[in-house]
Amino acid sequence: MILINPIIRLVNRNLTISINPGFIIWQILFPLIYIFVAGFAYTALIDSVPFGGKNLDYPAFLASGMIGFNIMNSTLISGIIIWNDRRHGMFEQIMSGPFTRTHYILSNIVTIGIIGLFSAALITAVGYPVFFDSVEFNIVTIPLIIFGSVVGAILFGSIASIISVKLRSSEGFNVIINTVFLFCAFASTAFYPVQGAPQPLATIFYLNPLSYLVDIIRAGIFGQVTDFVIIEMLLLVALASILFVIATKLLTKLDF
Amino acid sequence: MLCIETKDLRKKYASTVAVDGVDLQIESGQVFGFLGPNGAGKSTVIKLLTTLISPSNGKISVLGIDSSKHPLEIRKKIGVVLQQPSYEPTLSAEKSLEKYGMMWNIDKKIRKKRTEELLSAFGLEEIRKKKMDDLSIGQRRRVQVAREFMHDMELLFLDEPTVGLDPAARRKLLDFLREQVKNSGLTIFYTTHVLSEAEYLCDNIAIINNGKIMAVDSPSELKNRFGHEKTIKIHISKVSEELKSKLSIIPECQIKLEPEPTVIINSTKSEIVLMNILKILNDTNTKINDLSAIPTNLEEIFLKVVGDSN
Repeated sequence: MILINPIIRLVNRNLTISINPGFIIWQILFPLIYIFVAGFAYTALIDSVPFGGKNLDYPAFLASGMIGFNIMNSTLISGIIIWNDRRHGMFEQIMSGPFTRTHYILSNIVTIGIIGLFSAALITAVGYPVFFDSVEFNIVTIPLIIFGSVVGAILFGSIASIISVKLRSSEGFNVIINTVFLFCAFASTAFYPVQGAPQPLATIFYLNPLSYLVDIIRAGIFGQVTDFVIIEMLLLVALASILFVIATKLLTKLDF
Repeated sequence: MLCIETKDLRKKYASTVAVDGVDLQIESGQVFGFLGPNGAGKSTVIKLLTTLISPSNGKISVLGIDSSKHPLEIRKKIGVVLQQPSYEPTLSAEKSLEKYGMMWNIDKKIRKKRTEELLSAFGLEEIRKKKMDDLSIGQRRRVQVAREFMHDMELLFLDEPTVGLDPAARRKLLDFLREQVKNSGLTIFYTTHVLSEAEYLCDNIAIINNGKIMAVDSPSELKNRFGHEKTIKIHISKVSEELKSKLSIIPECQIKLEPEPTVIINSTKSEIVLMNILKILNDTNTKINDLSAIPTNLEEIFLKVVGDSN
């Protein structure tokens, strides 16, 4: 309780300062446009996509990919919280209050996890009409989706945290974070299937952690947990752990 | 009871010594002024005392707690308003106070009551719904200081809290702080560059320069110790060559012609010098327009102590 109470209070504060009507509208509107405009427009080009033992409609494939994409996008908040706290003096203020750096770091992780899950739930609800024909939820797959959402959120939250600790200027922070996240988004299996992509691009797709996250969530939604997905889960956990340790060390070393 | 005690406190950054052997003993229930020129080490001492940074050497005890062993326990009992602004840009002034109280685990009902009291005490009612990002520097500073009173504390660190405040807001804040010390027994560690503020508010004052404490005492004692030299100004009608020649033999006085002819005496024995000068003025038939004695203030003491140490 001694450790948890300050973390809950910081999470409460993080959510209050981060979540606003604009953020929520964007979190819904952007995937809606993608799923229902791009999804159906590209159906003429991509008829169906093989996934595990199934053939998915492109809108169903895209909608499930958007869950991973949205989780990644929403974890930007972690970087923005740290960056804003440093820029507006709140990091020092919090550290001079009844909190430790451990509280601060853990509260950020919990915040990212909550936002990640919220985001996944939102896109699942929004995208459900387009993939409900192929959905195969069961006792194993739902925890898999939750697992993927939380670990993926920690991974991308850690990347955003590392960038926010390293960069002071708003221009630098925005340019780097947008470049990294844009590259991750478009060089992944979130929007298009890897089949048919040129070999170098296909390799990049599978060096990209967003592909692992998206594949795990798809496997959860469509009930296609293959050996490859299990390897992706292990890789996601390993990468998330490494990046989390780096982000924590950098935050711990932040000087006043 | 001692509220703050430091022994041989030192902080070194690479080749720079920011704090160089500071010994402080501060009693509870007072406003302790901590004065010094820019870069003297004031903010570093505050960061050390508030456990934000660790000392390179020396011991710190705050509220009887060893800072190296239980820093979090200290932080739970203190309030800190740092020199730089700190605010949540997306929150309104009112929400800032309320959320800060929540962060300090203050009960919701008490939070609401305190928010209203502080909005009123700091004159923030009109801007309560305005976002922090849209406020002026002075308004943000008022919210920042008010916010710290959302939680209970035994010791409050205020690092230049009046920066950006207009004279009325400044006086209101100083009176509020005095009242807090009087009513709740709060101890305040206060830094400022406005020495009239320190003179108005502080029970005791330390002057720091180059990381070392140069003097510690009450304002009146500091004046007694360092304020022997007094200044007397005699405004005269004209300055003749004869007068110039006769005054040139008195080293403690100088003549200024602009904006009006004035003889200025700076001396530890200003009364005796004054008698001699009055005689010379009489001998040279120089008419006196006005005569004023300037009382020693803290600013002169500060300049003398810092000047001597440099």
